[in-house]
Amino acid sequence: MALRNAVAQAAVSVRYVVQRFSLALLVAAAIGVMLIGKADTVLLERARAAALDLAAPLLEALSRPVATINRLIADVEDLANLRAENARLREENARLVTWQSVARRMEVENAELRGLLNFKEGPQATFITARVVGDSGSAFVRSMLLNVGRSGGVTSGQAVVTGEGLIGRITEVGESWARVLLLSDLSFRLPVLVERSREPAILTGDNSQLPRLAMTQSLAGIQVGDRIVTSGHGGSFPVGIPVGVVSSVGEGGVRVKPLGDVLRVEFVRVVDYGITGLVTGPAPPPEVYGPPAPPPRAAATKAR
Amino acid sequence: MGDFLQQLDRWLYAALPGTLVAFLILLTLAPVRLPEVLAVAPLLPLMAVYHFCLFRAEALPAWLLFGLGILFDLLQGGPGTPVGVSALQFLLVRQAILGNQKYLVEVSFTFIWFGYAVLSAVAVALSWCAVSLLMWRFIDPQPAVFQYVVSLFLYPIFGWLIGRGRGRDPLNAPDPRVPGSRP
Repeated sequence: MALRNAVAQAAVSVRYVVQRFSLALLVAAAIGVMLIGKADTVLLERARAAALDLAAPLLEALSRPVATINRLIADVEDLANLRAENARLREENARLVTWQSVARRMEVENAELRGLLNFKEGPQATFITARVVGDSGSAFVRSMLLNVGRSGGVTSGQAVVTGEGLIGRITEVGESWARVLLLSDLSFRLPVLVERSREPAILTGDNSQLPRLAMTQSLAGIQVGDRIVTSGHGGSFPVGIPVGVVSSVGEGGVRVKPLGDVLRVEFVRVVDYGITGLVTGPAPPPEVYGPPAPPPRAAATKAR
Repeated sequence: MGDFLQQLDRWLYAALPGTLVAFLILLTLAPVRLPEVLAVAPLLPLMAVYHFCLFRAEALPAWLLFGLGILFDLLQGGPGTPVGVSALQFLLVRQAILGNQKYLVEVSFTFIWFGYAVLSAVAVALSWCAVSLLMWRFIDPQPAVFQYVVSLFLYPIFGWLIGRGRGRDPLNAPDPRVPGSRP
C-alpha cells in the first residue's frame, strides 16, 4: 500500500516536473536536434528524405493549382510590357537569324574537321524533364524540389538546366523527388571557365542573386560581360554549359549573373551525362587493361 | 446524429490551428512565382503560430509546435536551415505570448501588429544567428530582412482573414439573440 502511494506520488511529481518544464525541455530538444544535425549529417539526410517522401505527393498535388496562378500572374505582367518585349524580340530575332547561318556553316565545317582528325567525343548527354514542385521557402537556402527521382533516372550530382543555362545541381534524391541546390545557395561550388580566356575558376554561391567567382588566377583578364561556362572538371557536368555573365569586377570580387531564370521556371531539365563524377559517392571500379583479373575468391584471400 | 455532428465540429475546430499551420508550411514550399519583390516566401507559418497563440493557445500545444517546426526545417532542406530553428522560433513566440497574456487582453489590432513586428523580428534574428553560428561564416542578412518586411505588411491581411473564422466558436453555445449566428 505504502509502495503504491509512493509510486503514485512519484508519478504526480514527475508529471508536475514535466508540465512545469515542458517548454524548457522542448527548447533544449530543439537546440539538441540542431547540434545533432550539425554532427551527424547522414542521420539528418535520412530524416529529410523520409519527411520529403511523405510531403512529395502533397507538394505535387499543390503544384498544379499553383502553376495556374503563376501563369495568371505572368500573363498580367506580360501584358504590361507587351510592346517593349515585342520590339526587343524582333531585334533579337534579326540578330539570331544571322547567327543561325553562321552556326550552320560552322556545324558542317566542324563535322568535316572532326572526321578528318578522328576526334573522340565525350559521352552524349541526355535530358530528363522535370516539373518544379517546391521551393525552399527559407531566407538562407536556395533550392528547388523536382517531381522526378531515382525511378526517373535522376542521381545526385547531375546538372540542372533551363533553356538559358545552368541553374544548379541535384543534391538529394528520393524515389519520386529530387532536390536541386541552386547556384546562389551558400554551399554551392562549381568549377567553371571564363569562356573568352579559358581561365579556370570556382563559382561560389553566397545567398545573393549574384554568385561570386573565386580562385581565379588573375582578375586582370576578366571583363564585365564575359560568359562563364562549366569546365567539366570533377567529371559530373558536361563541358560548356552556359552558366552566367560577369556582371561586375571590383573590390568585392567578380560577380556573375546567372543566365537561367529561377524565379519564373516551371519545368527544368536534368542533364544525364552518363558518368557520375567525383561529386557523388564512390566511383565505378576502373577498367583494367592487361591480363584477365584473377577469380574473385583468390583476390579476396590475397587481399587478406 | 446531431450530437455526433456537434462532436465532429468540435474536433475540427480544435484541429484547425495545427492543420492550418501544416498547410501553410506546405504553401511556403510551393513554387509560387510572385513578382520579384516577393522572391522570398513570407513567414506564413510564423504568422499563423503568432495569431493562434494569441487567441487559441490551447489548440497549439508546445509539443505540436515543436513537431511542426522540425517538419518545416526538414522539408526546407540544405545547410541553411539547421533542423530545430523553426521549432525554436515557434516555441519562443508561444512562450512570449503566454508569459505576457495579462497585457494582451482586449488590445487593439495595432498593438497586436506591433507585437507581431517585435516577435517576428526576434525570431528572424534568432534564425539568422543560428545559421551563421552553425555554418561559422557571415551570411548576407538581406533576404531575411526582406522576408521580415514583406511578412510584416502581409500580417494585417492574414490576421483579418483568419480572424473572420474566429468569430464562430462552437465551444461557446450559439447565441440565439444574435440573428444569423450559426451553431
